[in-house]
Amino acid sequence: MRYGIGFKLGLLLATFGIVAMSIVGYYSYASSRAMLLSAAQRDLLTATQVLGRNFQSSIDEISGDTLLLAKLSTTSAAASFPMGVTADRDKELLADTFAAMLAVNPQYFQIRLIGAGAHGLELVRVDRAGDQLVRVQVADLQEKAHYPYVFSTLQLGRGQVYLSDITINHEEGAHSGLHKPTVRVATPVMAQDGKVLGLIVINLDLNGLFDRLKSDLPNAYQLYLSNHWGDYLIHPNPAQAFGFEQGRRVFIQEFFEPVTALISGKSGSVVTNVEVEQQANHGLVAAFVRLPFAGSIDQRFVILGLSQPLENVVREAKKLGWTTIQMIVVLGVLAVLLAALVSRVVTGSLRSMVHAVGLFSKEQVVSELSSARKDEIGLLARSLNDMQVTIVANLRELNESRQALKHLAQHDSLTGLPNRALFDDRLQQAVSQARRDQTRMALLFVDLDEFKAINDTYGHHVGDLLLMAAAQRMEDCVRNVDTVGRLGGDEFVVLLTHVEEEQDALVVAEKICKTLNQPFELDGRHIHISASIGAAIYPEHGSDELTLARSADAAMYLSKEEGGNRVRLFEGKK
Amino acid sequence: MIRRLLTCLIVSLTLSLPSQAVETLRVLTWPGYADSDLVKAFEKKFDVRVEVSYISSDEVLRQKISANHGDDFDVFAANTAELQHYLDEKLIVPLRLANIPNTANQLPRFRNAKNIPGITQLGEVYAVPYTYSEMGLIFDRKQFKEAPTSIAVMWDPKYQGRVLAFNDSSHNFSIASLALGGKPFRIEDKNVKSVVDHLIALRRNVLTFYTLPEESVELFRTQTAALLFANYGRQQLKLLQDAGADVGYVIPQEGALAWLDCWAITRGVKNKNLAERWINYMLDITVSRELTRRQGLSNTIEADTATRETDKIIWLEPVEDDKRRAALWARIISGDLPGRF
Repeated sequence: MRYGIGFKLGLLLATFGIVAMSIVGYYSYASSRAMLLSAAQRDLLTATQVLGRNFQSSIDEISGDTLLLAKLSTTSAAASFPMGVTADRDKELLADTFAAMLAVNPQYFQIRLIGAGAHGLELVRVDRAGDQLVRVQVADLQEKAHYPYVFSTLQLGRGQVYLSDITINHEEGAHSGLHKPTVRVATPVMAQDGKVLGLIVINLDLNGLFDRLKSDLPNAYQLYLSNHWGDYLIHPNPAQAFGFEQGRRVFIQEFFEPVTALISGKSGSVVTNVEVEQQANHGLVAAFVRLPFAGSIDQRFVILGLSQPLENVVREAKKLGWTTIQMIVVLGVLAVLLAALVSRVVTGSLRSMVHAVGLFSKEQVVSELSSARKDEIGLLARSLNDMQVTIVANLRELNESRQALKHLAQHDSLTGLPNRALFDDRLQQAVSQARRDQTRMALLFVDLDEFKAINDTYGHHVGDLLLMAAAQRMEDCVRNVDTVGRLGGDEFVVLLTHVEEEQDALVVAEKICKTLNQPFELDGRHIHISASIGAAIYPEHGSDELTLARSADAAMYLSKEEGGNRVRLFEGKK
Repeated sequence: MIRRLLTCLIVSLTLSLPSQAVETLRVLTWPGYADSDLVKAFEKKFDVRVEVSYISSDEVLRQKISANHGDDFDVFAANTAELQHYLDEKLIVPLRLANIPNTANQLPRFRNAKNIPGITQLGEVYAVPYTYSEMGLIFDRKQFKEAPTSIAVMWDPKYQGRVLAFNDSSHNFSIASLALGGKPFRIEDKNVKSVVDHLIALRRNVLTFYTLPEESVELFRTQTAALLFANYGRQQLKLLQDAGADVGYVIPQEGALAWLDCWAITRGVKNKNLAERWINYMLDITVSRELTRRQGLSNTIEADTATRETDKIIWLEPVEDDKRRAALWARIISGDLPGRF
């Protein structure tokens, strides 16, 4: 009974409930996670595009500044005659202009006017050095012709702007930009006749610019920037940026594979997520765009990207997942309880039926089962009730017929007296009783005289009536405890238990003899008969039923020999 | 409980027996030097296991070998300029060349160990050359009627603004000293000023100083450069040729600087015979040929068609004062005027 039907049913119900909820929960978790992921990718891509546009418009502003400076008459004057006496005043004026511009543009490291001749000697240079703006002294000015931003800019036409690759600025000098990622924005300075006199260069603080651009974005967003080969220029981990400076290349496309499509120009933007294996939700969602990043003539570009920890993105989904798990646990408990209840309702009825059937089969007690239910269980209970009632009725009938059969087997059908079989049984019991109690008992053999003649004279019908009446008279003569039996024909026996004296038995025998000798009114006729009675006493005339019967029989024959209508006590053994 | 523990112990011991029985060689090397198929062939041939670890820079190599006094690895590859460090620190042990018979097949310039700096000490050989790359000159055949012969061509005003030099303090000081007829790696204090001046002259003659090989290709293409100091050697030549440039390659008469990676055995070697067998295997003609085929690097067994036996190759050595060279170079490339030094 340990794993009974109730337990199994409950288990099945609970398992089904929990499995169903788990599947629904898992799918809702997975789909909401995917939805959040794609939403985050969209957001990131939008943010990256906005950031890119802002970056480009910042670059455009700086280009505007260089063009403005290049157009100033003092600029061309200072560049035309770098060694002239008047040039000093122009340079001074220009240095003040540079300083003013640096003051309002904190992301500018340095503004310079570089001459086209003398190996690109700087003519005016103002550096940012911490909070200070420093005009570099003439003796400290340097030759820059070997830098691409110089020789490339000098090849440009009027109004064109050069944008350098993003590099670490290792140019020595007193400025904040030393060993910092820098973009140089430059434009040529031209004389009226189109002769290139020099160039204006603004050094831009790349990290400062991006810090400013990124300030509107959520803190969790991380910024990536790479050059057109994929070398990281900005990376959340600064050690990964400018790897080529240390002689090792760290490529963006090695970590974010889809970026390859941007580098090859196959697409303009990509979104991706990098999931760390075996650690669900530890990874990144990222979006990248390819930004044109070049001056007026060439086709270079940079890759700009933003990433967000996957954990932040799927936090909501994770929360949902947790809620689902909690719901599953709670509903699981409820399912178990419900299952227990259901199984109790079902098996409770079954149990009471089992109890009723057990009780019925053991003690034949009919217990009324609750049959009020309309379902199969109620039907079963009703059937069981009906079955019990039917069985009980059948049993009673059976019992009655058995009783009747038994009676029939042990009694004379005519007189209703015990027949030989029952009488023998009673005699045996009486002898045993007397032997045990050491008392006397008597056995009388009664034989109606000339009964055959009556049968012949009046017919069997009257003979039968006579036998019935005789039996009734004999019964009236004895005590309740005594037995009168019919052995067959006109032979009767009487068993008298607890006889004190022989005389007592003989008195009863005489009484029987006399009463039988009285006339019978049968079928309108007076019939007269007599009886021969032999008596035997236990233990005097037989210590067992057989001897006793023989003695009584012998005494009865003696009585018959002597003419009948008398009582004779056995005398053979005295 | 104790019985279970004992069972576990016995089982694990039994399982570990075969792996302990197999000899393991621990190799520390650069990517591309010991590809897995070549390693497997060695493992099969000598019925051993080879554990290959990779390094990406000289600094990392120093760290890995110095940790535990060289006990973590059996054999490694380092260049001649770096080997002096391992000799000084006594982290490497002498080799028995008799156990490395393939050294006899090496090109003549590698056979005499005394000619190669940094691999011998007190008559003992500590390293065997494996691969090298020399820094020759790449020139545009259209702009040069004849191939340049001297390194002085980099200073030739005829090519002013069309020379591409490499942005590296150590090498530039070495070639400037060579161009002045001095020693490349041992610049005496009295000569420093003239070398600096010569480097300023170089600065004034070049178009620019490049850093990345791709950068050099781009500059060569867009700025019509005539001459290029090939810091990346023949790999860089191939890169340019692939980009469609009609270029030649030459080793100047003053000699070309070259790094030379050599195999050496640590003082912590477990089985020196096996480590020597590894070195011998690396010098096998088929293995060395594969290195050249796969990596484009020169091997020490077969001469490159472009390199002549007479070409002067100057194996890199530690320089007199790399910090001073770096500090001076930073100012030179920044454009400081000659008067400021």
